Amino acid sequence: MAATAKHNWADDVDGEEVTEDLPPPQKITNKDGSTTIIEYHYNDKDQKVKTTRRIRFITHREVVNPRVADRKTWAKFGQSAKDGAGPAADTTTVGENIIFKPSTNWRKDAKDESKDANAQAMKDKLKDKKVKCRICNGEHFTARCPYKDTMAPIGEAPAGGSQADAEDLGARDTGAGAAGAGKKGSYVPPALRSGAGASAGDRMGGSKYGERDDLATLRVTNVSEMAEENELRDMFERFGRVTRVFLAKDRDTGLAKGFAFISFADRSDAVKACAKMDGYGFKHLILRVEFAKKAQ
Amino acid sequence: MRPILLSGHERALTQVKYNRDGDLIFSTAKDQHICGWFAHNGERLGTYHGHQGAIWTVDVDPTSTLLASGSADNTIRLWDVKTGKCLKTWDFPTAVKRVEFNEDGTKLLGVTEKRMGHLGTIVVLDIKVDVEAEQSDEKSLTIVCDESKATVAGWSYLSKYIIAGHEDGSISQYDAKTGDLLYNFPIHELNNPVVDLQWSQDRTYFITASKDKTAKLISAKDLEVLKTYTADTPLNSAAMTYKKDFVILGGGQAAMDVTTTSARQGKFEARFYHKIFEDEIGRVRGHFGPLNTVATDPTGKGYCSGGEDGYVRVHQFDKGYFDFMYEVERERQNRVA
Repeated sequence: MAATAKHNWADDVDGEEVTEDLPPPQKITNKDGSTTIIEYHYNDKDQKVKTTRRIRFITHREVVNPRVADRKTWAKFGQSAKDGAGPAADTTTVGENIIFKPSTNWRKDAKDESKDANAQAMKDKLKDKKVKCRICNGEHFTARCPYKDTMAPIGEAPAGGSQADAEDLGARDTGAGAAGAGKKGSYVPPALRSGAGASAGDRMGGSKYGERDDLATLRVTNVSEMAEENELRDMFERFGRVTRVFLAKDRDTGLAKGFAFISFADRSDAVKACAKMDGYGFKHLILRVEFAKKAQ
Repeated sequence: MRPILLSGHERALTQVKYNRDGDLIFSTAKDQHICGWFAHNGERLGTYHGHQGAIWTVDVDPTSTLLASGSADNTIRLWDVKTGKCLKTWDFPTAVKRVEFNEDGTKLLGVTEKRMGHLGTIVVLDIKVDVEAEQSDEKSLTIVCDESKATVAGWSYLSKYIIAGHEDGSISQYDAKTGDLLYNFPIHELNNPVVDLQWSQDRTYFITASKDKTAKLISAKDLEVLKTYTADTPLNSAAMTYKKDFVILGGGQAAMDVTTTSARQGKFEARFYHKIFEDEIGRVRGHFGPLNTVATDPTGKGYCSGGEDGYVRVHQFDKGYFDFMYEVERERQNRVA
């Protein structure tokens, strides 16, 4: 009896809603295959709300074992006996997106230099170079020079006056002029620093990153958004050993943004690849390949 | 990848298991029911009620008709997978920590706890793979572990051996017909219990996880250690992925120390190692507590993990996972092609 009473009550509520003049829900099939559903309802404040949803149904077909297909038709039981078809919201939720890409050097802090081909090439290049002090030309770093406080770098010395002058007047340094200011005075941006010393210092700061990119990295632009790193790798591997392929992708859509960087182990391979691949047609687009510029 | 979170339990997970076809997942926790789930969308098939204590372990037979579970209420129960009905209960003097079906589902082994004057044992029950059939009460074999109690056990290929991991860190091999001890090797560090043991697809080798922070790949025939994977945290579980040669290790700080550490320090991540090269190749975070158990989909499409936080997280691998290859692997593939 209780059940029927409940039923009547529910019917009553439904009946009331019908009496209000809500337009019937509409279903419109669009030209592009999607469906627009327009529904009306009242919210808590008795305001009429129109909901327009555009839905595209995509049928994803998967062939499964008949046993598996049969199991999908099983009735639910236990605590799930009352759940409808499909996942129930109280037991099943979808978590936040996790980006998981296996890689051998995923651990950023555990960089093993000896295994990195770029580092090896760099080492080979620098093998027969010697450290030279910019102040005294000795075989140590400039920062370690015993005359660091008493002498200006070789190229700049005359600007501040004679060498003896600078030696005597350590305390008066701020007044010593333009070159002195570069040493101990206020900050001078790199662009305004004078001469050869400045450009050398500039190079030292950015050397590690810059050199690597300079060495054998190609910038590929006008890449199709359907491109995959693997395809690029396959294309460029013909010219020599590729150490790194980076294809910029959109975070949300996963489509390529249209440019990529390819690093070769050997610069001569990169030169070859640059010459051959510039203007190559790939997925209806003409690739543009050039050497990557150093990061500013 | 977007994991599916399954919240069917109120307490810490103890084991998760896929069926042979990879479409169902069964999970047990320290609360008193088992949950069955569809792996493809996380829909709950149902719950299995009857146990009176924490459930430590679950296994499903290869045809996905019968489900076995072992609990702290000193019973092993057999369930009908389809309806959730309890078909049979076997009573033991102590808690049951591990159950496993053999390859054809005709035998079930159970590992019982050492407690109250009873020694730890491994028992074997004969199973008729039929929901209607009357199951026998008799144990067909009982192996008593008098040295150190067994914590985990499993059936090797052709049900030839029973392999057991012990509390003292050793692994032993028993003849599955007679119950004779054939080998016992101290493979993990002394007194670091072996906490998980999972099989390769053909059951010729298995992976163990231990509290000594290592997982080892061991051959079933002569208990030779093939590979060692070293982690920086005590492990609770280890599994091998199919299709790709990876292993997944789960672990983290012991549950009792968790409140004193942040989630990051607690190392509550699933760690992926390359099975052959033994390198760590990535981690998947997500749980708020240690991972108690991991299981991999036999079809190779995903894996799931159960944590101390009470959640099961089901992951479907995406393209980057399947594309990943070592330089040497890629070179070899290019040569062959």
